[in-house]
Order: sequence, then structure tokens, then C-alpha cells
Amino acid sequence: MARILYVHTGGVSTPERSATPIYLATTAAAMDVEVGIYFTVNGPTLLRKGVAETLIVPKYEGKGAPLRRFIDQALEMGVKFYVCQPSLDLHGLTREDLIDGVQMIGGAAFNDMALDADQVICF
Amino acid sequence: MTETPSPDRTLDTKGLLCPMPIVKLSRAVKEMGSKQVILMEATDPGAIPDVAAWSRQTGNALLAQDQVGKVMRFWIQKA
Repeated sequence: MARILYVHTGGVSTPERSATPIYLATTAAAMDVEVGIYFTVNGPTLLRKGVAETLIVPKYEGKGAPLRRFIDQALEMGVKFYVCQPSLDLHGLTREDLIDGVQMIGGAAFNDMALDADQVICF
Repeated sequence: MTETPSPDRTLDTKGLLCPMPIVKLSRAVKEMGSKQVILMEATDPGAIPDVAAWSRQTGNALLAQDQVGKVMRFWIQKA
């Protein structure tokens, strides 16, 4: 099975950047690709409990949808969510602050995944 | 229009945008038996390249496609 690893660095301050890696990962999962998203830098702020329900992914016209919808779609399709431990510290977050379904990994595990993936795509 | 295979099931994704048509197609095909045919209808402007790419990656064959107005139709056979 092909493997893609997405790296998501966008956070709550850039809602327009929040959903695209999650969309693409969901699509990859639908293509029977083994897919993960590594949330680092500001990415973990999107996974704080209660945030994605109110963070609206903007649309040029009309009202966008909350990010939570795209996160749930991805998790349902089997996309793995990984979070970088040091980038939690950057935002004063702990594992307990995050939604269910995410896995904490460190730099070595990330690099290992990147080396094993067919493609690594960074946002 | 060339003769198209009679589908075992149909999937209406009209009005849905990326990534939902492909997500729904993936889910529907997982429920089907080998060699069964699904007819998918879509209006997403990206559907033609997306269905072709999905077919290539998953090995489920795109047997035929056509377009009537804004509605694109795809006949896909599960591997």
C-alpha cells in the first residue's frame, strides 16, 4: 500500500489554511493510501478540544463549514493524526487538551515515518 | 453514446464537492462484490480527473464515462 505523510503547520490564526491538508489526506485514504497528518508548529492548536467546532473554514461567498466536520471525515476514513510533543509546549498545551484520536510522537518517529513514506507533503 | 454496462448500484454525488464524491465512491465500492459495477453521477468540476486518478490508484476499472449537461456519469467495476 502506498503511503503519504502530510505535515500541517497552520493553526487557528490562519483558518483558510486549516482544512486543505485534511481534505487531501481524506482523499488519499479514499484512494486506499495509508495516510497520516503530522501536526507541528501551529498545527496542534487546531486539535485543542472545542476549537474545531467553532473554527469556520472560510468561503469566498456564504458561510463556511466548521473544521470539526473535516477532522471527523478524515478520522472516519482512517487518516492517522500525529502531534509533535515540543510544538505542544510552544502553545502551553498538553495531551489532555487535545481531541481524541490523536497520537503523540517525537522527532525520531516522525523522521522514521517520513523515510518510510512514498511522499511527504508539507503545508 | 457508446453502450454502457448495466450497473449493480448507483451513487448520486450531484452537488457534492471534493473530497466528498471520492469519499462516497470509496465507501460504496468497499461494500460491493468483485466485478460488480457502480454508476456514479457527479457535478463536481474536478470529477473527471479525480475519478480517473482514483481508478488508477485503487485498480478499480473505469469502464465508461459520459456527460449530460453538467452531470458526469462514470461506470466503475470493482477489481
